[in-house]
Amino acid sequence: MRREVRSLAAFLAAVALVGAFLPNVHLLALNQHLFLALNVLALNFCLGLGGQASMASGAFCGLGAYGSVILHSLLPQGTLVIVPAVASCAFFAAAWISKPLEKLGEGFLAMATLCLCLIFVNLVLAFAPLTGGSNGMMVSVSPSLPLLGELKGDRANFAALLFLLALGGYIFAAVRDSRLGRALLACKDDSLAASSCGIDRLGVRAVSFGIGGAFSALAGMVLANSTGFISPGQFDLGLSLKTLLFLVIGGPGRLVRPLLAVVLLEALISSFHSLGEATMLVHGLILATALLAGYWRETGGLAWLPRLVAPAAKRV
Amino acid sequence: MLVLYLAQAVNSGLALGAVYGLMALGFCLIYNSSRLINFAQGELLLLGGLVLFSLSQTLQLGPVSALLATGVFGFLLGHLLYSTTLGVMLLAQPLRQLMLTVAASLIWQGAAVLIWGKNPLKLEQFVAMPALRMGPVFLGPNTVTALVLAVASVAVLSAFLGLTRTGRAIRAVSMNALAARLQGVNPVRAQALSFALSGILSALAAMAIGPQTMLRYDMGFGLGLKGFVAATLGGYTSLGKVFCGGLLLGVIEACLTLAFSADLKETLTYSLLVALLVLAPTPQSRQQKV
Repeated sequence: MRREVRSLAAFLAAVALVGAFLPNVHLLALNQHLFLALNVLALNFCLGLGGQASMASGAFCGLGAYGSVILHSLLPQGTLVIVPAVASCAFFAAAWISKPLEKLGEGFLAMATLCLCLIFVNLVLAFAPLTGGSNGMMVSVSPSLPLLGELKGDRANFAALLFLLALGGYIFAAVRDSRLGRALLACKDDSLAASSCGIDRLGVRAVSFGIGGAFSALAGMVLANSTGFISPGQFDLGLSLKTLLFLVIGGPGRLVRPLLAVVLLEALISSFHSLGEATMLVHGLILATALLAGYWRETGGLAWLPRLVAPAAKRV
Repeated sequence: MLVLYLAQAVNSGLALGAVYGLMALGFCLIYNSSRLINFAQGELLLLGGLVLFSLSQTLQLGPVSALLATGVFGFLLGHLLYSTTLGVMLLAQPLRQLMLTVAASLIWQGAAVLIWGKNPLKLEQFVAMPALRMGPVFLGPNTVTALVLAVASVAVLSAFLGLTRTGRAIRAVSMNALAARLQGVNPVRAQALSFALSGILSALAAMAIGPQTMLRYDMGFGLGLKGFVAATLGGYTSLGKVFCGGLLLGVIEACLTLAFSADLKETLTYSLLVALLVLAPTPQSRQQKV
């Protein structure tokens, strides 16, 4: 644990250093990468620890963003209550959803959770008076904390994202080394054997799913505050697919590597945005190359490739 | 008035249902032979339709030549998808294989945008069938064409899988790949062929849906997902049931559109899938395969 936490601290320190010297325009882009990294970390609780491939990140993220914006508009000074309340709601919703879905295999669970994401987006569209529908919602009130004041601007959001990544990373490492983490890893390796050993499979996996949902919701809250506007398009299946893709590329169960993969690959993908209509093609090619490189690295096909983007075979 | 609305719902529902049915068959073939959920299924439809569109712009295609071209290009596209996804990652973890189909979906969509642009393209009706009236039920020409194409595909595919040596090899691999291998069947070849057959089915689906809704670069994923819902509804057990799952989904969707808004219709359709996945036995637990 100590080694991984040290690596995480080094990674976050490097990001903080880069962020400190970046102009605001580029900091906004870095915030977007860190937002995705936080989602990947959240998904790592489900897939890396519990072995459950979820594509509901978009839904929990959206739940956090919409919940935070709507509640802040009703209770402008209530950040200290709203943030934990929305995160708890996301935790319980995710834990509750995970129980009936637990029996599904990897691919089917991914499809079922993808549908949850689509259901969320369609519900947001259907309840337009509350959510603004396809027009989206302006974020009129920023969260505010005692002593710190209003969390406004890219620097504040950057700090919030770094704090959440540090907190999430520490909890991930702590959970993995705990009794709960060992139970989750047992479920991931062989769920039938884990059940035979007396592990409450539904219970432990619900906890990991719940923690993942809560962190996704927190990421959604920061995104809403960062962009100043939310719409269903920000939380559609693209976000869920990207999150799972980056985690698979980085290696589920690892702490720092997936975060590094997100920041580096997203930065690479962003640099190709000027290509216009070829962007999607290049985007797909980069992700496919990263997946293939990881696979060839695992199987010995690319022994020279740095271990940066290649997850260890035993962990996947 | 209600009867008229319902008749209209059945007409449009069957037209879309035939397409969902074809997509579901493609999903089933790939899933049963390789246990892979193919996220790029919709892009097979998209590219198949767009290639046919380009061919029709340069050549005068009659019904037979159009069907032939659809078959050939569908086969090639399916094989290409296999060679670039599962074929290069045979020993990888299932999740990595699945994610590679997601990346393939992005690549194919990007290629479609680059070559054909973002504007919707209307595919002409190559196999024009007359409209059909049965009492209060009226089936438009597009619906009849889609149904004829789909039913004929199911019949030909059933005959191929049941009567030919290659078809039986695919079925054997879908039942037990190891046992099939011990009997001299090459599972890798069977998987590649399943992808190719799935490509043909998707290209035929494009031929059916192109004249109805036009071809758009981002239509693939939604249709692929509906194909997955239909396959789950059909239960992955037999070609007939899976195809009927597609028809049923089309009609249910059309009726939901009548009763609710389009957003709620989508919500209910996906809720149906989640409920089905939770309540129905998983495909792995079934003995009988396509």
